[in-house]
Amino acid sequence: MSNQVLSCENVTASYGAIQALHGVNLEVNEGEIVVVLGANGAGKTTTLRAICNMVATEGTVMLNGRDISKADTADIVNAGVAHVPQGRGTFAALTVLENLEVGAYTRTDDEVQSDIEMWFEKYPVLGERRTQAAGSLSGGEQQMLAVARAAMSRPTMMLLDEPSLGLAPLIIEDLFQTFAQLNKEQGTSMLLVEQNANLALEIADRGYLLETGEITGSGSAEELRNDPAVQAAYLGA
Amino acid sequence: MTLLIQRLLDGLFNGSIYAALAVAIAISHRATGRVNLAQGEIGLFGGYLALAMASPAASFVAGAALFSNLPGHPFHLWISTLLAVIVAAVLAVALQRALMRDFDESTPQRALNRSIALLICVSAVISSQWGTRGRIFGELFPSGSNDFVSVFGARLRYTTIGAWVVVIIACGLVTLFLSKTKAGLSFRALTDNRASSVLVGIQPKKLMAIGWGISGALAALAASLAASMSLLDSSLMFRTLIYSLAAVTLGGFDSLRGAVIGGIIVAQAQTLIPGYLGLPTEMSIVAALIVLITVLVFRPWGLFGQRPVERV
Ligand SMILES: Nc1ncnc2c1ncn2[C@@H]1O[C@H](COP(=O)(O)OP(=O)(O)O)[C@@H](O)[C@H]1O
Ligand SMILES: [Mg+2]
Repeated sequence: MSNQVLSCENVTASYGAIQALHGVNLEVNEGEIVVVLGANGAGKTTTLRAICNMVATEGTVMLNGRDISKADTADIVNAGVAHVPQGRGTFAALTVLENLEVGAYTRTDDEVQSDIEMWFEKYPVLGERRTQAAGSLSGGEQQMLAVARAAMSRPTMMLLDEPSLGLAPLIIEDLFQTFAQLNKEQGTSMLLVEQNANLALEIADRGYLLETGEITGSGSAEELRNDPAVQAAYLGA
Repeated sequence: MTLLIQRLLDGLFNGSIYAALAVAIAISHRATGRVNLAQGEIGLFGGYLALAMASPAASFVAGAALFSNLPGHPFHLWISTLLAVIVAAVLAVALQRALMRDFDESTPQRALNRSIALLICVSAVISSQWGTRGRIFGELFPSGSNDFVSVFGARLRYTTIGAWVVVIIACGLVTLFLSKTKAGLSFRALTDNRASSVLVGIQPKKLMAIGWGISGALAALAASLAASMSLLDSSLMFRTLIYSLAAVTLGGFDSLRGAVIGGIIVAQAQTLIPGYLGLPTEMSIVAALIVLITVLVFRPWGLFGQRPVERV
């Protein structure tokens, strides 16, 4: 059996009196891309927020064998989790370059600059605009920046919250290519939450179905693609 | 014409004080998202410390004997001011950690209440320790009757020039910290997007304390400069706080440049408006409020602040 990087055991989460997650169980093994499919309001964002302890939660979240259920968010990031929030969450007033530098906040090695150059090569638009405020970028460019910034921390586990939201199909494809490449070249494990099941299932190894705060199904990417219920709900078949 | 220039130049001195305290308020606001109403009093405490260290009788307070073999030998006023600025910074960090660290984004009212309580406490400590009557602070710059340069027949006093040099150096250091250091970068990131900064591993609590420390130092500098021009008295910084709050509101709470320019505008309004309307100088605070309200009506986010974006 492969090494488990992340697991949620019976995780519940609530916003005040409203309970958004009712005991979620999921796991991500080393080097895997795992997708969580769910409709609007299913609790996808809340699941990722619960992992980073950004919302009131109960249950157990384990990262590389360590219980992080009660750890500070900054602490969890330090432990190797990078979270690309829904709506990108770039630093609008900072320059593109500064966004990447601050993404490496937890790092102390001397390869930060070369990593930045690597991203500028991968996404030349970002390189050309390195001194411009991130807020002036287009939606697609901001999403690239958000992903690059998250990767700058050299995470072992990446959480991606609906990265395709509001982007043009070509840009989405490019973005998902980057995920697959990061996963392959750096071995970064990924938990990707999406409504856009087509592309997500293409790069994912496994997946879960989330409905109103509960996991209602799971399987390999292949199994999910062929599941009639999934096809009806998420693949527009 | 000369009278106008003279009034402008006179206003410039107060402008430097308001600018320094306004930048202090803006920095701690950027760090914590809150206005620290005790800012002026923390600075005033620093001003009294500076005076204490510079006075022969009280120099033991600061352990002057460590630096000098003569018991009771006072520090030079400049050295004691610099030491007091450092002590005020440390004190501000300690106060932040002790009183304010448990506040999160959801408790603005409690944070405000606690800063008012802190203002009252520090003020009470100052009054009981040093009394309420004004004390001569001493000259930080030559301020005799001939110490000025002539500008179109008006007098630009050395004190004004010196105060601005000090304030510009201090603001320059803050700007260097913000633009050239890793802590400064994370500080700007925190101001820009608190949720995202936590997600890159920034610890807001650390930066909040640093923010208070920087503003404590700036406030102590402002108090010492103000005291060197008039007298050190227990209500000195309360008056200054009101003008400086007007200045940051004008400039925008997150903009350091805005805070400095706001300080100048408020100080000019304070001298020009009563001067030309023939109001008594006690009414100058009304002038500041007029400027403030005018700006709040037309640009509620300040002259240099970021206009809040409505996200859809
Ligand atoms: N800040 C919040 N306060 C109260 N309820 C919230 C908040 N955020 C999300 N919810 C509720 O929690 C549920 C799950 O939301 P979310 O995790 O954002 O879903 P998804 O990301 O799958 O669209 C929804 O019913 C939503 O209304
Ligand atoms: Mg969501």
